Amino acid sequence: MIAVMLLTSLNYGLSLGFVATFLLAGLAAAALLHTFRNLAGIELAPLAAGETFAGGTLPFTLAIAGSASARHAISLAAGGSVPVTVDVIPDAAMPVTLEVPAPRRGRVALGRVTLSSDFPVGLWRGWAYIHFPLAGVVFPAPEADAPPLPSGRHGEDARSDAREGDADLSGLRSYQPGDPLQRVAWKAVARGAGWHTKHFEGGGSLGPAELAWHALPRTLEADARIARLAAWVLAAERVARPFALSLPGSTLPPGQGREHRRAALTALAMLPEPPQ
Amino acid sequence: MSAAPRAALSAAQIRWLGVFLLAALLPQAPFVPIWVAGFGTMLVVLRLLLLYRDRIRANARPARIPSWALAIFAVAAGIAIRQSFGYFLGREPCVAFLFVLAGIKYLEARTARDGTLLVCLASFQIVTPFFYSQSLLAALAALPALLTLGSVLQVLAQPSLRDLPLSEWRVPLSRTMKLFAQGVPLAAVLFVLFPRLAGPMWGLPSDAGSKSGLSEQMSPGSISELSLSDAVAFRVDFDGAVPPASQRYWRGPVMSRFDGREWVATDRRTPPAPRPAGRPVGYWVTLEPNWKSWLFALELPVGPPTAETANGGATDAIGVLTGDQRIFSRSPVTQAVRYRQVSIPGETYSAGSTEDEDRVENLQLPLDGRNANPRTVAFARELRAQYPDEIDFIRAVLQWFRTESFYYTLAPPLLRAPDPVDGFLFDVRRGFCEHYASSFVVLLRAAGIPARVVTGYQGGEINPTGGYLIVRQSDAHAWAEAMLGGKWRRFDPTGAVAPSRIERGLGGALPTSEFVPLLARLDQGWFKSLQLTWDAFNHDWRRHVIGFNYDKQRSLWRRWNMDQLPPALVTAIVAGLIGLWGAGTLGLISWWRRRNADRARVLWEALCRRLSNAGLPKQPHEGPLAFGARACARWPEFGVAFRVSAESYAILRYGPPPEGAGAKRQRDAALARLARAIDVLPAAAILRATPS
Repeated sequence: MIAVMLLTSLNYGLSLGFVATFLLAGLAAAALLHTFRNLAGIELAPLAAGETFAGGTLPFTLAIAGSASARHAISLAAGGSVPVTVDVIPDAAMPVTLEVPAPRRGRVALGRVTLSSDFPVGLWRGWAYIHFPLAGVVFPAPEADAPPLPSGRHGEDARSDAREGDADLSGLRSYQPGDPLQRVAWKAVARGAGWHTKHFEGGGSLGPAELAWHALPRTLEADARIARLAAWVLAAERVARPFALSLPGSTLPPGQGREHRRAALTALAMLPEPPQ
Repeated sequence: MSAAPRAALSAAQIRWLGVFLLAALLPQAPFVPIWVAGFGTMLVVLRLLLLYRDRIRANARPARIPSWALAIFAVAAGIAIRQSFGYFLGREPCVAFLFVLAGIKYLEARTARDGTLLVCLASFQIVTPFFYSQSLLAALAALPALLTLGSVLQVLAQPSLRDLPLSEWRVPLSRTMKLFAQGVPLAAVLFVLFPRLAGPMWGLPSDAGSKSGLSEQMSPGSISELSLSDAVAFRVDFDGAVPPASQRYWRGPVMSRFDGREWVATDRRTPPAPRPAGRPVGYWVTLEPNWKSWLFALELPVGPPTAETANGGATDAIGVLTGDQRIFSRSPVTQAVRYRQVSIPGETYSAGSTEDEDRVENLQLPLDGRNANPRTVAFARELRAQYPDEIDFIRAVLQWFRTESFYYTLAPPLLRAPDPVDGFLFDVRRGFCEHYASSFVVLLRAAGIPARVVTGYQGGEINPTGGYLIVRQSDAHAWAEAMLGGKWRRFDPTGAVAPSRIERGLGGALPTSEFVPLLARLDQGWFKSLQLTWDAFNHDWRRHVIGFNYDKQRSLWRRWNMDQLPPALVTAIVAGLIGLWGAGTLGLISWWRRRNADRARVLWEALCRRLSNAGLPKQPHEGPLAFGARACARWPEFGVAFRVSAESYAILRYGPPPEGAGAKRQRDAALARLARAIDVLPAAAILRATPS
């Protein structure tokens, strides 16, 4: 645009045309400095990597800080995520969460983060690439209509389905970190009686579910097995039933709770790709 | 633009675009046909009204005009412009078409891409009004567009400004001003150093029109049109003093043939008659290209023009001097030419050997037909009967011009055939120099005195800094000469009507009669002085900003000895200047930001350093209040100062962010309290010496 204005002024000898053109050029050049200044000195730190199921988006949280000066319209993007644009206030670190699409299970590194801004007038875009050793786990997508949980030690057992509804509340014990939230005695918490976890007689009596790779039908593909096991892990967790997991190369002792679930799903996510 | 090109424009963004378009289009509305101006502006306003309707009736279906309808609009507008101008590929029709096109595009703008396109289209139209006028007023008229351009770019680019209402104009405007202010030094460097061209690289087909200078014909209105142009015709460096304005008649085409309305130059090149000796005036003329094969010289020239040689001397003749005291160049002047000329200022010269031919040719008048001007002829004969002597008769005619109610004006009413001279002399009596010269010659011829019209330039302004004379197209003039006793003698009837035209130029002659005549006649002193001040402004403006062209740039460079430096060095210097500007501005931005953002912290950290030197370092885990309390305990005599500074700093740093009216004042007050409290405290050495 400025070139066209310049050519016109040049050809017709329009001094005022030159003035307008060069003023705009000055504005553009000053904007370039502002764009640079806006990006220079930004501090970006990795905070956390989240987890998700395959097909979802994996959240990575970064902290952005602009030292003493305000930063405007800073865009952050990584690995095909929707860019997040934030204004950073002076002397403050702000968390920014990038939702990186995760189509496949496994460990996913954040990779290259692109920090960019076209502040103030959109004529220039300054950018920088940053790498962080931040990786998140993408759990395998659970099978949609998985068969009911196998029970006991003898493989598949349809009883579990009938029993879990009947599980009787047998009492309360004090809350321990890791207990599933749906078993917290919220009424007690609300009363101010402290945190307690409900203890179910029926569920407990069922015994830990044995989720075993080799117990699945041989006709199932590796990916289908992983999907079914993932679905079972989730189902067990939903009904607050302990489970054990045995996979080729690793086993997980019977257990329960958020950490156990994560360990199980992570183990599933990390299974090597089957040889084709 | 950062946004994806397909992203939709928000209503606020469209509104901002509309305001920018209006700001960019309105300054050139006077220069396009009135229907173009009306139509283009109406389209923009229409869109703004539709947006307004959408806003007040939130559930109404947003108004949409189909793209095909707009395409038809555009084609129709193109055809209408073609019809209105008679051609399309020219500067004026293109400007008019762009005007309408911007309006049409705005009516259908929906996406970010449309926004970018509109911004480009309208930015270009900031420059186009300068085709027509480069006055101070035109420059001021362009300012709103430049400022809104910066704002609209921000609104289009910044997600946080996407829905900024127009009423919040201060936010983007202040940043735009800041950017412009920072860019001004660079703009100045570019303005001075960016190379200009001596002539155009291209011209749209219609451009080589009447604006380029005098022509071989003169009809009513041709010179007054030229007078509107600020373009430089030529510049003159005199060897000695510049002759007074009343002697500065720059002779151009001489016109003898008359058809009752239009004068046409004769191109008879006869040798000049010998001139009696006089005081010669030597000078150099730098003529701008006029695409004609004539040169200009001060009346009356001696000898042919000579060319400039490399060392500044003059040798070869580059043209010829003819019997009617004109000088012709060998070829049409297509680029600036510099030549040396010598003249002996005077008003009379001998017709020489061609006296009889001249006499016959310059008595010719259309005797019958539509343009015989019978009233003029009758009046001349009547007057001649009273004044048998030729010179008495001419004086009587001039006296008649002076005493009758003739007005000198740039905008005379249109003179219609039949008999335009009759119409002018007896009915309208308002005209420009060509009207006076033409009717004067007709009167003389009708009375049997050979006379002809001479066109050229009269006056010119002296550039006090350069010491040279600038003659502009607006100095174009027409006068007359009559043959008395075998000698041609100059008469200027315009001088009888408007003497100041000759002494002070067009600017001196016109304002009283042309600009707001009512106010001028009331003789309001303040108004006149205001106008004179404005005129002086405009004059400086014209000289320094508008007049900064190829020649001035070259002479400036020459003064700095820049024309002798190798181009690579010049490039390096320019790059260095730009780099210097960048570093300087960047430093300024950083300094400014730190100063504004961190004043409280700078003060507080200075205090912490002082206390640390005094033996009381602030612990990393300590907040300001805890540290202040500790300092209070150590130096109880300064307890108040410590408490106030710690509390002020805590409010500034950790208090609620400034919001709402008065918040800034509160923070400023806290900052002042902090600064005062710290001022009260003695130096570190004294503190350390205080026993605990």
